[in-house]
Amino acid sequence: MVENLTGTFRGLWQAFIGKRVWKSIALFFALIGPGIITSNVDNDAGGITTYSLAGSEYGLTLLWTLIPITGALIIIQEMCARMGVVSGKGLSDLIRERFGARITFYLMIVLFLTNLGNTISEFAGVAASMELFGVSRHISVPISAAIVWWLVVKGNYKSVEKVFLLACVFYLSYIISGFMGKPDWHAIGTSFLKPTVRLDTGWLTMAVGVIGTTIAPWMQFYLQSSVVDKGLKAEDYQYTRMDVIIGSVTVNVVAFFIIMLCAVTLFQNGIRIESAKDAAQALAPLAGEYASWLFAFGLLNASLFAASILPISTAYTICEAFGWESSLNRKFLEAPQFYGLYSLMVFLGAGIILLPDMPLITIMYYSQVINGAILPVILVFMLLLVNDRKIMREYTNSLAMNIVSWLTVAILTLLSLTMIGFALFSK
Amino acid sequence: MAVNQEPQVFLYLSELLGRKVVDSEGRPFGRILDLTGNIGEIYPPVTDILLRSATDGKIVLFPWRRLAEAGDRLVAHPVQPGDIRAPALRTGELFLKETLLDKQVVDTDGAKIRRVNDLQFLQSQKILYLVHVDVGFHGLLRRVGLERPINFLFRVLFDYTLTDQLISWKFVQPVSSPDLLRLTVAQNRLAQLHPADLADIIEDLDIHQRAAVFRSLDVETAAETLEETDPKIQVSLIEALDTANASDIIEEMSLSEATDLLGDLPKDKAEGILREMEKDVAQDVKELLAHPEEKAGGLMTTAFFSFAPERTVREAMETIRREAEDMDLIYYLYVLDSEDHILGVLSLRELIVAAPEKTLSELMDTRIVTVGIEERKGRIAEDFAKYGMLAMPVVDEDNRLKGVILFKNLLEVVLPKLGR
Repeated sequence: MVENLTGTFRGLWQAFIGKRVWKSIALFFALIGPGIITSNVDNDAGGITTYSLAGSEYGLTLLWTLIPITGALIIIQEMCARMGVVSGKGLSDLIRERFGARITFYLMIVLFLTNLGNTISEFAGVAASMELFGVSRHISVPISAAIVWWLVVKGNYKSVEKVFLLACVFYLSYIISGFMGKPDWHAIGTSFLKPTVRLDTGWLTMAVGVIGTTIAPWMQFYLQSSVVDKGLKAEDYQYTRMDVIIGSVTVNVVAFFIIMLCAVTLFQNGIRIESAKDAAQALAPLAGEYASWLFAFGLLNASLFAASILPISTAYTICEAFGWESSLNRKFLEAPQFYGLYSLMVFLGAGIILLPDMPLITIMYYSQVINGAILPVILVFMLLLVNDRKIMREYTNSLAMNIVSWLTVAILTLLSLTMIGFALFSK
Repeated sequence: MAVNQEPQVFLYLSELLGRKVVDSEGRPFGRILDLTGNIGEIYPPVTDILLRSATDGKIVLFPWRRLAEAGDRLVAHPVQPGDIRAPALRTGELFLKETLLDKQVVDTDGAKIRRVNDLQFLQSQKILYLVHVDVGFHGLLRRVGLERPINFLFRVLFDYTLTDQLISWKFVQPVSSPDLLRLTVAQNRLAQLHPADLADIIEDLDIHQRAAVFRSLDVETAAETLEETDPKIQVSLIEALDTANASDIIEEMSLSEATDLLGDLPKDKAEGILREMEKDVAQDVKELLAHPEEKAGGLMTTAFFSFAPERTVREAMETIRREAEDMDLIYYLYVLDSEDHILGVLSLRELIVAAPEKTLSELMDTRIVTVGIEERKGRIAEDFAKYGMLAMPVVDEDNRLKGVILFKNLLEVVLPKLGR
């Protein structure tokens, strides 16, 4: 009787939803990961700091920029994912084969430096957020470095990916704390409908900063390698594209909530902050203890997440370019360059935070500048590669895609150069 | 390395690329873009240079043997009308820069994938032979143009001289395009590798190279290599083949490995392959496929020897000699009654030392250890550890012998969990 009933139920259910739909959903969940993870790592310590500053200093006026940023992010990541699926090779591999040893060599040096700068800021984020919970950085930073090292060296891609996807879920804490700020949705809606551009240096610098922190050079390398690692095939490409789009949208939803929360609380009360830590602290009296707590937790999660990915992604990228053994399945002596680079990144990243009197703000600032300088180069390489028939066969960009992508790259290049200009000029 | 006796006759590709060539009157003739080599020979001789003509900007081929070195200049002399030709390759030829420089190759001596930083040529009687591939850091620095400053730094700071890391061309298998594998099929160097190394290399290559390398292997090597490959990659390699080729390769694999692989394949593909396979092998595979993979039934193979108790040693030896080739296990012989109940076991060693006319029932050991067909991996591993056997017989609930589990197959299940 019971069996009969469940049987009927199942029949009804299947008729209702259709088998094909189920199959696609199952396939989708098996194939997603790289896009969502890459985008979310991008909301790292540096990102959260920039969004907090943007909201607290300029209120809601920068919110609308998230819409074009989402578009640009999708366009760029889609090309990367497509290159990974079609060529089966990482980005640095393709750059080396197409553009030769010399360019690759210098590009990798610059990439190493900028990624090291980013890693330092991730560990700074760990230190700051744990200090909000009353834990000294001399305890939190070494422990987190050890966790990061252990996770990557002892885990395999599948289990690590699951941990990472879980970390993505924790970004919800920003959305919840956003609602705790009791936002005025009417004013927020207006800010999107009537976008404003202010022509003062501070506002423009901040706008460029928000874009720069969302579209970073290392992401392209990481996304393409993880697509390759996952062994995705050209037939499954539609799911990868969905993955990339969902990732790009969620990252900006999180950014929206951070900017919005800081705008409706800190900005409206005229509180000036200098870091994400200040933001979390200042939130307590305005949005409640829990909002502050969630904000700090979000920062910790984001920093740890990015600190796990940046060093390993850098080591992979560089070893791939130079043809060094790069696999976590090898022993240290079989892949000395790989483990050497990886450990160097983790130890320098965590170690520099612990040194007294380290000019952290200066370090992060220069790493942002290098980020901005190297991004156009990588984007142009990407566009040349994605249009190379030898590599991409029939999957090169369409004319429309080329117009849109070259335009995006041109604008991003202009903005990056502007940022460098501002940075050097305002010094 | 032993190559440094006469350094002056060695040339690097990076030193040749971009060099200007002049004609006999000293007028610019062109600039070297690439070299062609004939890889049909053990050490490929350079046949032509690809150059951009200085007069009309066209890209043409010009024979290497017409070049002479005068001081630091390369002189094309004499230029005859038939020498200059359109850039089309002859059979066995390839563009050395385009197909090798900065690309991945397989080093069959070290069983590794390397990236080519430079190519080293040996000049002998005006002919340039490709002899070494440079895969070292020093070669990379030469390409980047930092050879001198970094060498100086290393000497001053660490009292260390960087040396070239060269691989003899004999041990190099280019993989950058499927054509390369086809061209060198007569002397496919990948066959020099152990299948387990080959499997590691295949796992490290990109999807297209993987398929191309795998296709270039003969059926037997392909089967051995496939057994050592990661299950996910096994599936993608087999999916890329047509059913006929796939079934040829899978037939060569051991029964239990073949079963695991077919179990991982999409249903349609697996059924197609089973139809193409020899009837009796396909039947065995189908029986094994019915068991869940993580239990005894899914780990076991049915390719082993069993005999009736009244058979003699001589008869058993004959059977073994005839059929051992197709068996997964030959070290243990199981003695069964007419209903497949297991009566005893004896080892190949006991069989060899026994008198030929003795019957198996006289020799067999009746203290038998078995596992049930539903037994889980963990328990089976414990039994292996306790009894120290090479293979464990699997019986059903009526104590009938259904198959044997090889220690090797269980090792693949258990080993990854050790030391973690």
